[in-house]
Amino acid sequence: MASTQSTPDGSVPVAAELIDRFCRILGDDGVLTAADELVVYECDGYVVEKKAPDVVLFPTTTEQVVEIVRTCNEFDVPFVPRGAGTSLAGGCLPVGGGVMIALTRMTRILEVNLQDRYAVVEPGLVNLHLTRHLAGTGFHYAPDPSSQGACTIGGNVATNSGGPHTLKYGVTVNHVLGLEVVMPDGRVVELGGPAEGLAGYDLVGLFVGSEGTFGVCTRVTVRLTRDPDAYRTLLGVFETVGDATQAISQIIAAGIVPAALEMMDQGIIEAVEAAYGFGFPLDAAAVVLIEVDGLEVAVDDEAEQIIRLCEEQGAREVRRAETEQQRALLWKCRKQAFGAIGRLSPSYCTQDGVVPRTKLPEILEFIIDAGERHGIRIVNVFHAGDGNIHPILLFDERDEDQIARVFRASDEILGKCIDLGGSVTGEHGIGVEKLQFMERLFTKDDLAVMASVRMAFNPRGSCSPGKMLPTAGACGMEHIERSRPGKQAAS
Amino acid sequence: MNADRKSTVDGPGELIPATIPELGRLLAANAKGERRPVLPVGGRTALGFGFPADPSSLEVSTSRLDRVVDYPARDMTVTVEAGCRVESIQASLSPEGQRLPVDVPLAHRATIGGAIASDAGGPRRFGCGTLRDYVIGIRCVTVDGQPFKAGGRVVKNVAGYDLCKLMVGSGGSLALVTEVTLKLKPLPSSSAMGWASFDRGETVSDLLVDLATSRARPVAIELLGPKAGRQLAVESRQELPTGPLLLGVAVEGNAVEVEWQVEVIDRELRAGGASDVTWIRDADTAKMWSVLTDYQLGGEAPVTIRACTRPSRTVEFVVAAIDAGVAVQAHAGNGVIHCHLPDETVDVESAAAVIGPLRDLAVAGGGQVVVERCESGWHNKLLMWGAPRVDWPLMNSVRQEFDPDGLLSPGRGIDGAMQQLAADGMVVE
Repeated sequence: MASTQSTPDGSVPVAAELIDRFCRILGDDGVLTAADELVVYECDGYVVEKKAPDVVLFPTTTEQVVEIVRTCNEFDVPFVPRGAGTSLAGGCLPVGGGVMIALTRMTRILEVNLQDRYAVVEPGLVNLHLTRHLAGTGFHYAPDPSSQGACTIGGNVATNSGGPHTLKYGVTVNHVLGLEVVMPDGRVVELGGPAEGLAGYDLVGLFVGSEGTFGVCTRVTVRLTRDPDAYRTLLGVFETVGDATQAISQIIAAGIVPAALEMMDQGIIEAVEAAYGFGFPLDAAAVVLIEVDGLEVAVDDEAEQIIRLCEEQGAREVRRAETEQQRALLWKCRKQAFGAIGRLSPSYCTQDGVVPRTKLPEILEFIIDAGERHGIRIVNVFHAGDGNIHPILLFDERDEDQIARVFRASDEILGKCIDLGGSVTGEHGIGVEKLQFMERLFTKDDLAVMASVRMAFNPRGSCSPGKMLPTAGACGMEHIERSRPGKQAAS
Repeated sequence: MNADRKSTVDGPGELIPATIPELGRLLAANAKGERRPVLPVGGRTALGFGFPADPSSLEVSTSRLDRVVDYPARDMTVTVEAGCRVESIQASLSPEGQRLPVDVPLAHRATIGGAIASDAGGPRRFGCGTLRDYVIGIRCVTVDGQPFKAGGRVVKNVAGYDLCKLMVGSGGSLALVTEVTLKLKPLPSSSAMGWASFDRGETVSDLLVDLATSRARPVAIELLGPKAGRQLAVESRQELPTGPLLLGVAVEGNAVEVEWQVEVIDRELRAGGASDVTWIRDADTAKMWSVLTDYQLGGEAPVTIRACTRPSRTVEFVVAAIDAGVAVQAHAGNGVIHCHLPDETVDVESAAAVIGPLRDLAVAGGGQVVVERCESGWHNKLLMWGAPRVDWPLMNSVRQEFDPDGLLSPGRGIDGAMQQLAADGMVVE
């Protein structure tokens, strides 16, 4: 064991000998050590907390990942896997420093089997690249996070990513059939596979959403989904946020499960309109983007039913996307809404909470109220059909007082989600950002069971320490300051 | 509430607690006292699956934990105690136009906790998925009596590890499920099921390829051998076509959707070589679903096995099973196949002779054959879970974290599979 001394901030510096070993495994070109380059990897989309890794490694094969993990263990250095770094809760923050395993060079699509409806891909493959690869086959990969142009399939596995179409199609875990994992001790394990219904525990389901704390995923077998026979895309325009959320509630209660049901309030409409010029009504309090899909013979009826429900709730109008171009632009506005926020404010912080769907009116009112009480402007763009809210808190990070108020408002909103029977994260994850909420959502016993499950995968805590659970492996956490909420990317 | 009511002891060693806290206390007392092995019991519909239970087990039944805790219909979720019968849950959902779209064998007896433990499913897994897609929150008690929960009551939630997934299919070997929250779906107003017979496996294979890209979206694709076809026709009192291979394709939705899909599928089945298609509609499909689902269990067959393979390998497997005299039912869209060995399977050697080649086929398709039921005394001579898979030791580690002393369902599930691996030489296969 090459023992090392702690630096003043408590983390363990990586020895030169270790770097040499990595260079032998990966070649110089797969090892990043220059301080000015490491800065890129000091955080993900959650820029409040920062810590640069000591070294970033770029393996291209499972075998290299195995060698890296074994070498880390030999030198007793922690390691953390990373995809594109679009996560929003610090899930790939290298708490305590150490080695970052960047999987962005493992981008191959290894197999596409349409008859058995699966594809095998490497973890660094960008989500959208798989969808593009499948274009024209009649199949697609259903999870479509707004960051899908950048985020990786491996990262989606780590955070159990969602997206607008999860309302009907489910989140990442509903679309992962198998995984190849390099365990924290260097073993390679195949979990699940393209044949469904294998005996034993659903370790695939358990691994998805484990935020990198169970090992390094090096290969993913994903389920492919049939493209819908037909779809209709609507835009409901509302005079009040309350009317919009009531309409959403009525649609769900009527037994209609649209493919997507997304809400944007006036604040975000203004920014999106300025950026993309769709033609949104700037005086509307809220718009709801609704997509129904299914059989051609049925979608018009369903669309009519939704239009009627919206009108009953006082919708000013319900527009239809008449052409594929209009639909594409509408979706671009929704998915790239976060990119437009720079027009509203120098900095912003996106929250991610969930409430039962019928509580949407209540949480929206609370958000407006929290914004007023703390003097923070909050705009909303979110997955309304799932009850998954994304309040975006706008502020100027040069103003320390504003920052403190952003934290207070965020904490109150998430606390209210818990009080309403919901959760503090629907798709972004716990990471390091929401560790303090885990004890409000779960008892000590719940957390102890979760910690024991982690022991089966990661007994030494060397893989992604300081994540997900507040109880274990928090070394180094005290040195990461939660000081400034910054710009965060889309969900 | 019944919190203080005494539990009854029904026969030798069965505890039936009236409340979840009482269940916890009983388990804690056992863990500190007698330390008898514990066998969780629901509706007793899947207790005979797989490895036999330790005969000295304390049976802990959830049958009195049968409250619907919360049903906020407009949120499309329901929270129920684990002892609720699946059929009675469905009965409380249907007035709201909702359902749990998972087929559970013997649903009038099976409890939701047992269904989750055994990962019960049936024909509609093709269109609707399985229980893992619907369990969004779970409460359990460890064998030491310690309660814990995971997930919650909202449909989207990534806080904490997803122990809901871990419990689905865990076979009562990690913890006792006490309460679950399920995500629900709208109840379709109409359904139809078309049946056609075929002479050759190749014809069916080609047809399945075409069905995979049909404009219709079936919720189930069932492929039956002749024995299974005859038995199911009798059970359901339906005139099904007879022939070497019987294919059933089912659709659900509103009346317009169903009518349109019936036309499409009828045309596709005939184009694929069917001489006639028998359609079962609406009310009659209800009986057919339960007959198809219950048939998986195998009734009086001496041995029942479940195979899984890639969907494209299903027909090959089914044909081989028919040739071996097996009554076979395949969820052909999923590659999940239920096989009931013939009455002539009089000893373990003849069972092994049938299972071995089928197992090779399943493994070649990336799958597995599991022995679900067999005559007593055959369990330690047949490879119950087949050839070891690389994730078994990890599964075993997970089990040991929950139950380090092996008090819960010892010898069953992964524990049984690992023991069988260690006890080399016992197996006749």
